[in-house]
Amino acid sequence: MHLTREEEAILAGERGEAAARALEVIVRVGDALGAERLVPIAHAHVSGVSYGNIGDPGAELLEGLAGAGARFSVPTTVNPIGYDAEEPGFFSASREFLEGQARILRALRRMGASLTLSCTPYYLPDVRGIPGGSHVAWGESNAVVYANSVLGLRTNREGGPLALMAAIVGRTYYYGLHLDENRMPSRAYRLSARRLDEARAGVFGEIVAVGHVDERPPMLLLPRRPGELELREMLAALGAAGSVGMAVIPGVTPGAPGEPPRGLEVVEVEEWDLEGRLASIAPGPSGVDVAFLGCPHYGLGDLERLARAAERLGGLRVPVVVSASRRAVIEAAARGLAARLARLGFRLSGDTCMVVSPYPVKGLRVATNSYKAFFYLKRRGARAYLAPEEEVLEAAALG
Amino acid sequence: MQVLEARGRPLVPGRARGRAVLVELISFYGDVDWREGKLRDGRSIAGAVLVARRSRGSTVGSYVIYAMASRSTGPAAIVMERAEPIVVAGCVLGNVPLVDGIPWGTISEGDLVEVEPDGTVRVTLRGGPPGRGP
Repeated sequence: MHLTREEEAILAGERGEAAARALEVIVRVGDALGAERLVPIAHAHVSGVSYGNIGDPGAELLEGLAGAGARFSVPTTVNPIGYDAEEPGFFSASREFLEGQARILRALRRMGASLTLSCTPYYLPDVRGIPGGSHVAWGESNAVVYANSVLGLRTNREGGPLALMAAIVGRTYYYGLHLDENRMPSRAYRLSARRLDEARAGVFGEIVAVGHVDERPPMLLLPRRPGELELREMLAALGAAGSVGMAVIPGVTPGAPGEPPRGLEVVEVEEWDLEGRLASIAPGPSGVDVAFLGCPHYGLGDLERLARAAERLGGLRVPVVVSASRRAVIEAAARGLAARLARLGFRLSGDTCMVVSPYPVKGLRVATNSYKAFFYLKRRGARAYLAPEEEVLEAAALG
Repeated sequence: MQVLEARGRPLVPGRARGRAVLVELISFYGDVDWREGKLRDGRSIAGAVLVARRSRGSTVGSYVIYAMASRSTGPAAIVMERAEPIVVAGCVLGNVPLVDGIPWGTISEGDLVEVEPDGTVRVTLRGGPPGRGP
């Protein structure tokens, strides 16, 4: 791989042992993939920070780096952790878990991370200010797909350690979705459906992700421009159910053509494909034990919609856990919305979610409006069901 | 005693020597007890040369390789047919020699394997037919 003089100097240890090691990771991985050079990044988002996921090995690595003097050289945000930092008890974290998670957070803070603890860094004003076309290094699959498809930022699906190393040296390998030619769609998927909501958008994301194995993005042709919630759930499903890192969506993706380019194969996805799949995973008549909303994290507008919907229903009989970014939780508290949600029976939490926390979901019947949450809750042993928010709330009101 | 030599890509160059432990498809996160340096089936990989065809699974795998290296419970080297970024990152962080491009079937369980910094892998056959796992 070709390295600049500055990069050679970092490798030789001019910015310390930790930076040299971090750059070595990126260069060697880039070499293995066949990258020709590195590219400077404007921002990094580090995933794989929940103690439940990375455990002591992860904590040790982070502490080792921080102790060896590693510091982030670009603005760096952080994915959710295993509990609500303001109410650690709620998500059933043990003492060992709390201590392990605290070690991870201390090390990240010491290296200069902004502890946003959210999976929606794409809503942060600082991130919205990054010019389109900029290179970034993000972990967290839903954020990667959103960055590439909506903001026009360029990132691969970086594994946790790679985004971390890229944050330290401010560079990543120039490969995959960083290159123009790999951002051109290799196949289009046209959805013919009269009904579209976030659950259906998620199922469409699943169908595309399972069928699309190419490294270049799918082009998505929808019956209408998706709303923000539908878009977010669809992109999160693409990232969860397969290895898609970007979608090209007319009217959404910067520079996307309005029609599929000539010669591009178009796969038709029929309404029945969607409805059949959704019917097989919808909440059944036997009821639910708990509902989960806010994967990816809800924002303030989502919380306002939720309060209005629940007021119309008049009360919830099973717990509804709602995960939001800390920023949205603070804003909701300031406007009295958090108290309103609590009165309605919602358990609002920041910094975490039902998937990355040790919340005991095994064997529980969990209804959610998020395909991504459905996908991971099932893997954690829950009996998960998928439906749009309105129907999830109805199920929660019935118990 | 039969000796054969193969040349792979030294993704993390280094010199190491150990008995081969074979896992066709390894997930470091899930298949490995990093505190003990053991595979789920009980075989020890501490000080061994771990031979795998490919890897799969979570990016936490990088952290597991690092954790084993820092506790000296990990393999002396890793030899693969095809290495993925997760394994490369873990080996760089833990300073574990890593060679890929060695076809699965070249090395058998229990063979003595020597890894050279230039990617040469020297295999002293244990006597059994090549390409057999345990």
